[in-house]
Amino acid sequence: MTTQAPIPIPAEESADPASIRADLIAAIVFIALGLVVAYFSWTMDRLEVRRIHPSTIPGLVPLILGVMLTLCGGLLAIRSARLDVRGGGAALVRVLVSWQAVRVFAVLGLALVYTLVLVGRMPFWLASALFVFSFITLFETVLADRVGSLPRTLIWALFVALGAGLGVQYVFGEIFLVRLP
Amino acid sequence: MFDGLILLGQGVAHFLTPAGLFNVVWATLLGLAVGILPGLTATMGVALLVTLTYKMAPDQAILTLMCVYLGAIYGGSRTAILLNIPGTPANAAATLDGHPLALQGKAGLAMGLATTSSTLGTLVGIFFLAIIAPLLSEAALKFGSYEFFWLALFGVVISGQMTGSDTPLKGYIAGILGLMVAMVGMETLHAYQRFTFGIPALGGGVDLIPAMVGAFGLAEILSTMKRTAIARIIPVNDRVVPRLSEIFRYWKTIIRSGIIGTFVGIIPGVGEDVGAWSSYAAAKKRSKHPEEFGRGSQEGLIAAETGDNAVVSASMIPTLTLALPGSAAAAVLIAAMMIHGIRPGPMLMIENAPFLYQVVGMLLLATLANLIFGLSLTKLFIKVLAVPRERLMGVIYVLCVVGSFAITQRMFDVYVMLIFGIVGFILREMKYPMAPLVLGIVLGDLLDLNLRRGLALTNGDPTPFFTRPISAVICIIIVLTILMSIPSVSKRVRSLLHRGRGDASAQG
Repeated sequence: MTTQAPIPIPAEESADPASIRADLIAAIVFIALGLVVAYFSWTMDRLEVRRIHPSTIPGLVPLILGVMLTLCGGLLAIRSARLDVRGGGAALVRVLVSWQAVRVFAVLGLALVYTLVLVGRMPFWLASALFVFSFITLFETVLADRVGSLPRTLIWALFVALGAGLGVQYVFGEIFLVRLP
Repeated sequence: MFDGLILLGQGVAHFLTPAGLFNVVWATLLGLAVGILPGLTATMGVALLVTLTYKMAPDQAILTLMCVYLGAIYGGSRTAILLNIPGTPANAAATLDGHPLALQGKAGLAMGLATTSSTLGTLVGIFFLAIIAPLLSEAALKFGSYEFFWLALFGVVISGQMTGSDTPLKGYIAGILGLMVAMVGMETLHAYQRFTFGIPALGGGVDLIPAMVGAFGLAEILSTMKRTAIARIIPVNDRVVPRLSEIFRYWKTIIRSGIIGTFVGIIPGVGEDVGAWSSYAAAKKRSKHPEEFGRGSQEGLIAAETGDNAVVSASMIPTLTLALPGSAAAAVLIAAMMIHGIRPGPMLMIENAPFLYQVVGMLLLATLANLIFGLSLTKLFIKVLAVPRERLMGVIYVLCVVGSFAITQRMFDVYVMLIFGIVGFILREMKYPMAPLVLGIVLGDLLDLNLRRGLALTNGDPTPFFTRPISAVICIIIVLTILMSIPSVSKRVRSLLHRGRGDASAQG
């Protein structure tokens, strides 16, 4: 079978200093996570009272996984440390405060406020409409690449927000009989 | 043989009812829209729709999901051709030749070729599904705990190896993280609650659907909104329906790509994107005009689109017979089947044999719908393509919240979606593949249970894991896979193979 053929998935940015530094940080997180999981698995109840066979203890597989994650994290750390170049940290910080990152944080902020604050405090359609309205307005004005006319944006946002809020309520709640938050 | 054909006929006829056809039409159109819109992927579409099909009859629900899955994988080729952005990750290979063709004023031809080759790819996959699945299902009846343990591990390892674009190490890490997530909650051998930290909601473990909606929904929304540049849609001025000669000139490429796609589909957790890239690479290697690849080669486009669509049908082979998801979207389908009381796995052919042929029927109807809509509704799809993401993504997030809440009606699942979305986005940005993570979550329980059950059966003696013939074979494959992912080992093996080939040709 020819799947052995080299798959031309572009290995872009493999030499990007920011991503190498990010790999190094992630590797440390994985090592820590692996060790924590291994510790909790080792100290997990071995159910001796129930006289189960020691090779079938609940902590067996998590322990193996914890060790494996620590090992893979270690290998990743070695790989990243070898590739790491000066200025990697600065490059990573530049990525984290870039315009793209601002857009991501804006989406996350809106999503968190909608999910954790709005949903449950008001009817679902209203919460959803408010979220969609703010989302469209924000991304078509402040965070837009090219700002269009404000009244047009507001009309569209209102139209889509009400359509989405009431539409979801009707389609899911009334037609497909799904319970909504 | 004839029993199979009769069951197949019944499988197709089963859905030839007004309700069945209605579901095929709307679900395919929805799937096409999902595929066409950049930022909406097949897995996300299927995961979100599980909620909508929750109260439907099981067969109609799976039919709907299958139509969305196939429609999205095909629909993504439109975006690849007209916008140079893959509509779903499966269509990345199609951008290489699809977009140059569109730039040459042959957008219609490119779309026509993509449509017909998608259909042919699906048909090749369906052919192998109908033949291989019953045989594999019968063979799998002989599998015990030992084999299932290795199979689960094989799924995670091979998926990690083949989807880790940066380094296989990242694929393995993603797989281990997925398996760790599966360890949370009540384990099935001794009913002991692991890693619940006194939170009652964690007792049942992390549900797959909210996790998938997060990892493929919210994470995708974040990735899409991150991008600032928007590409220009190429106008379509030529005919869309291709001539038969334009397709069948490349019949060898179609069959080869279909078989490669099928092979990739059978491998657990290795999805449509790998199918498309592998077919594309093989077609380029065998082509009489490899220099045209990447500059608008019709053969390249056909290879990519045949390859990814063959994966969809073929991914149903391990999904239905072994309950090992053949792709990320197939993992959601397994969860959906479970919700509807259909248990995929070796017992499926015994408990519910017609279902396998119903799946074949679903795929046939879905691909037929794709062909008809794909060749006729060009203008409508261009309108869909022009929908601004600013106005769409907020609505999609609302659907993510509904999709993760509705199945068990707990806000806890919405929070799971949020966490998986954020972590999934960070992992994606750092080039960790999502497929092994998903496979880990799906297969964690199977791996854990079968390892410890196997050890319990032998009083702690692990020998049968290595001495039973099928176990031994899978174990060797896993070891070789891991060894080959170590750069120095794979380099040495390759140089040995080259030397061997060089010696042989020198002697010959």
